[in-house]
Amino acid sequence: MHLLRHPRNAALLGLIFVAIGLIYLIVPNVLGVNDVNGDVNYLDVAAGATMLLALGVAMALMAYVLAVGTREE
Amino acid sequence: MTTESQSLTTAPVQHDPLENYGHDRRGGISNPILGMLLFITSEVMFFAGLFAAYFNTRASADIWPPADFADTLKVWPSLVLPATILLIISSFTCQIAVWSIRKGDRVRFIRAMSITVVLGIAFLVMQATDYYLLGHETPPLTLSSGTFGTTYYTLTGFHGAHVFGGVIMLSVVLYRGMSGQFSAKHHDAVEAASLYWHFVDVVWILLFTILYIIPGKG
Repeated sequence: MHLLRHPRNAALLGLIFVAIGLIYLIVPNVLGVNDVNGDVNYLDVAAGATMLLALGVAMALMAYVLAVGTREE
Repeated sequence: MTTESQSLTTAPVQHDPLENYGHDRRGGISNPILGMLLFITSEVMFFAGLFAAYFNTRASADIWPPADFADTLKVWPSLVLPATILLIISSFTCQIAVWSIRKGDRVRFIRAMSITVVLGIAFLVMQATDYYLLGHETPPLTLSSGTFGTTYYTLTGFHGAHVFGGVIMLSVVLYRGMSGQFSAKHHDAVEAASLYWHFVDVVWILLFTILYIIPGKG
């Protein structure tokens, strides 16, 4: 069986989006990109990060469902 | 080569059309659970949109919560903490119901599922009471109290609607369980409803953290 055909491994695909979300949340603050007024506020980029993190969860569920299949197939 | 071995080599071989695709032959998941997982996937993105809208509104405000409502949302004393505890307990009782029916223990299943439904209703009653109290604060927090009131009631209201849907779902499962429709082998609806209930619980924990725990700014 291919590694990604195992449902549990397929669900790990969602981690890619979670990782991108965390990078999106952390890197601009570390680099000071959002540091216009000397304030670093993680919540300023939280909207985009939230969508990416949720997308990771949704993608993990979808990947799991696609890999595991149904009994009726 | 003997006749027997010839027939073995020339006989048409029945190939599994899925064998080269590494198809999981361990059973797969049933359609009700498959449907519920797809539904939850869409719900994850639905709530992500609401959360993102809240964060966007909060990020664009200079002060959050607005000065008029600085002390309106309190973890204690308020009904929100006991309601949260009840909802978390209900997730455990729901899972106990699932484990019970997996073992074929219908009595324990019905008892645990009944407690789950009661806890879900209690959460809704407490949320409604909390809304009433917030509406009678000075100044009152209502849907028209600017972006703060709008985002608060939209987030918690949609979650409450999901809890209401979950209570109906669990009640149907409970009724079917009392009618003897579930067994250790056939209980897909129980598994599907419990997945939904856990999802609703997780969303509330995130909501509670974001609305009540994360400190304001300004």
